Amino acid sequence: MKIFWRLVLCAAVISLSVWLWTVFFPAPEKVIRHRLAKLAEDVSFDSDQGSLSRLAGGESVAGFFSTNVEITINVPGQEQATFASRAEITQAALGAREKIKSLSVKFPDADVTLAPDKLSAVADVTVDAAVSGERDAIVQELKISFQKTEDGWLITRLETVRPLR
Amino acid sequence: MAIGRNPRNTVVRILILVAGCFVVFKFIMLPLRVTGISMEPTYKDRSINFLNRLAYLTHEPRRGDVVSIRYAGPHVVLMKRIVGLPGETIEFIHGTVFINGSPLAEPYKKNPSDWTLPPEMIGQDEYFVVGDNRDMPAHDHVFGRVERARILGKVLL
Repeated sequence: MKIFWRLVLCAAVISLSVWLWTVFFPAPEKVIRHRLAKLAEDVSFDSDQGSLSRLAGGESVAGFFSTNVEITINVPGQEQATFASRAEITQAALGAREKIKSLSVKFPDADVTLAPDKLSAVADVTVDAAVSGERDAIVQELKISFQKTEDGWLITRLETVRPLR
Repeated sequence: MAIGRNPRNTVVRILILVAGCFVVFKFIMLPLRVTGISMEPTYKDRSINFLNRLAYLTHEPRRGDVVSIRYAGPHVVLMKRIVGLPGETIEFIHGTVFINGSPLAEPYKKNPSDWTLPPEMIGQDEYFVVGDNRDMPAHDHVFGRVERARILGKVLL
């Protein structure tokens, strides 16, 4: 019986060690998922937010992208939109905050694939966005390329994917 | 509180029931909440349904099946009806679907439609899907060719 309890204790210590390791040294996929969750949070805004808070939120969105980012948004029924710098992203984020009362963005699915060199990754993401005044949510699939830099994982490329052609 | 003559058996039964429900509703029969009007009148906005993920284990999707199509994952899906099968040519003329030049009978389509779209060849690993509500303008409706790998399963009810 003594051996049994020693084994149980040993298993508990190993489990705790593994858990602590993943907390302090998370896998890149986990870091990217966390980054996406933070991006969704920063892109979203509420009608209750003050103008300063909205401005800060709009500017923080650009920090998720690299300086030489390429963004191509191609939604059926709308003109294609492209962004190629952090300044353009900030401008778009601030513009959206002026035009729309509130925006709630979620990424319900994110499939992250790490490159063999572990310095880049591609995430297939579903975006679920609720815009104030719109009856239905906007759902879109995105392909997002990440690059590991000194500032963490930054988005280098973002494009829309059409599940139906 | 009465929990049966043998409480231990009752607890075991409850645990088996909970585990069974978890497996069934998490992996086999996924609950769906319909959002939007593209499948009306067959499926109303905000109605509840289930996705049978085992439906295509023994056979491939068939014409007329209402299927779920994934985006990046299974949490948000498109719900559409299969009208075109791999290798076929599909065309819309004044609201009528033509498959390889022959009109397709669509009893589920209740409202008149005026869609006219040029012929399109469906690839060998593709299906052509469209909603039942073709009363709405074609440019507001999401439809087209979808890869087989994106079809998650068949809508149950």
